[in-house]
Amino acid sequence: MNTDYTERWFGYVVAVLSVGVLTLFLKIIGAHVNAATVSLALLLNVLFIATRWGSLPALLASIVAMLCFNFFFLPPFGTFTIAATDNWIALLAFLVTAVTAGQLSASAKKRAEEAETGRREIERLYAELRDAFERASHAEALRQSEKLKSALLDAVTHDLRTPLTSIKASITTLLDEVRGRIQGEPPVMLDADSRVEMMEVIDEESDRLSRFISGLIELARIEAGELQLRRRWGAVDEIISAALLRAEPITRGHRVELNVEKELPGVRVDERAVSEVVYTLIDNAAKYSAKGSVIRISARRAGEELIQMAVEDEGPGIPSDLRERVFDKFFRATRDGDIRNHQPTGTGMGLAIAKGIVEAHEGTIWIESGSGGKGTRVVFTLPIGDDDVVEEEQRPAATVETR
Amino acid sequence: MTDQPRILVVDDEPQLTRVLRTGLKSRGYEVRAAADGLAGFEAFNDWHPDLVITDLAMPNVDGLELCRRLRAVSQVPIIVLSAKGEEKTKVEALDLGADDFVTKPFGIDELLARVRASLRRATAPPAMNAATPTILDSGDFHVDLESREITVRSKPIHLTPKEFDLLVYFIKHSGKVLTHRTLLAALWGGNYVEQNEYLRVFVGNLRKKIEPDAATPRYILTEPWIGYRFEPDPQITQIT
Repeated sequence: MNTDYTERWFGYVVAVLSVGVLTLFLKIIGAHVNAATVSLALLLNVLFIATRWGSLPALLASIVAMLCFNFFFLPPFGTFTIAATDNWIALLAFLVTAVTAGQLSASAKKRAEEAETGRREIERLYAELRDAFERASHAEALRQSEKLKSALLDAVTHDLRTPLTSIKASITTLLDEVRGRIQGEPPVMLDADSRVEMMEVIDEESDRLSRFISGLIELARIEAGELQLRRRWGAVDEIISAALLRAEPITRGHRVELNVEKELPGVRVDERAVSEVVYTLIDNAAKYSAKGSVIRISARRAGEELIQMAVEDEGPGIPSDLRERVFDKFFRATRDGDIRNHQPTGTGMGLAIAKGIVEAHEGTIWIESGSGGKGTRVVFTLPIGDDDVVEEEQRPAATVETR
Repeated sequence: MTDQPRILVVDDEPQLTRVLRTGLKSRGYEVRAAADGLAGFEAFNDWHPDLVITDLAMPNVDGLELCRRLRAVSQVPIIVLSAKGEEKTKVEALDLGADDFVTKPFGIDELLARVRASLRRATAPPAMNAATPTILDSGDFHVDLESREITVRSKPIHLTPKEFDLLVYFIKHSGKVLTHRTLLAALWGGNYVEQNEYLRVFVGNLRKKIEPDAATPRYILTEPWIGYRFEPDPQITQIT
């Protein structure tokens, strides 16, 4: 406000002064200029004032210029009287031209300014909208991530609490029986078999808790990008053998078919981690397919730089819309995906960990239907590897998702 | 047929059904287990248990749906097993007619206390005097529905009409967990189901009149975030 006001007054002062100075200058060189030159020079000045300070200072400049023109340059000089009629016309023409040109240029300037203001306003609105949109999508992302977090927390607490519930209920049953015997309280009939059963439950459920917690730690490591890969040259068949040996107790009821291509090149991987992936896949295959059915394990070369391994079962298969989601942590197709199955389910972490390990090796993992469209076939690829990469062992797994 | 009370356990967690089966059997109950709501409902129709213990989160037919289906055909006592984080579902189950709940992880004693209370309530509903059917006798409470007179521990008390209705409703549903919503709908009608403060005021007043010490209520027990449970005869029940 204040600066506008000062600016306006400054405009008026400049209008008067500039006309004065210009008149003085023209007067000094007066001998060489005629009335037309003077009027053009003064008009120019009016235009300058109009474009710089707007219509009112321009109007003032026009009037002062007209007076000066009359006083100094139209005979008789030094008076405001005008002798000749054509000089009256010249003066009038000057005044009209000055005022009109001044007002036109001032309004042109004003319109330009308005257009500029409009443009700035639009820019500001756009920026505001964009900010608002960004804030909204940020808030949405945050809300989603909170929702996800609470869903994960629910899943984790459920998985911790379920075994704990069985353990606690078993222990209080056993405790009551012992106390009852010692203190002669109301009888709790626990035969030897039942006692063993309670203790078995405690044993198995403690193992389950322990497995779950190990899985959590491993997952956390992968997500933090702290999976330390110890890459060494190794043989694919040895990796598979190690996994099979470990899986022997769970695959006893199944028929295992092994199909490893001859003369596979060595791979530069973390053997323990890749063997863990194979084990997880075999474990899943055994868990979710009928006893007596076949589990097929295969390894072959896929192109110049990749090894492809697969584990296939003859179970119910995984519907295509769930084939991505089963790699999400804590997602269990049998529980969350409406697949009817009352077999004990896993922790919902195995495939998430497997994916983390495969991706840390710059490989990919996916699920397809088994041969003949039945069952589940989990396939993963690994780059054969390269001796040049020396710093690999120190580098945290870059391809593992971090959040 | 034995005269042992029959309990149907419905849970998709095989280890837990193993434990409950053994734990309950050792206390003289006859037990059957089902792995989901659908199998549970089939077992109920087939076996007619005296009590149902059900988990809430299960595949196929979940605990809520099981409560709904059971209540459509039977008044069998239902105890809900719930985990922390399932509060909303738990309240929903109680609204649907479940009688009580136990929060995981629980000790077998806690569950057994709930089982005993539910079975007692089912076998011995508040005695209606046969000769004068307007008389309601329950624990420390004696109510004449006709003259609207109440005595607690043989002492007459004076109640406002709404307090009287609330107390009679409590007595008729002794031992059962009653959600805020259930009580509000029963006493004030469906439009008031969100008005928890109504309930708080009336329960507070009622406690002042019937409890020996309103600060540590023995009859009207608060179930935090859920509602209230009425215990007409605190001497014989010890649910902790």
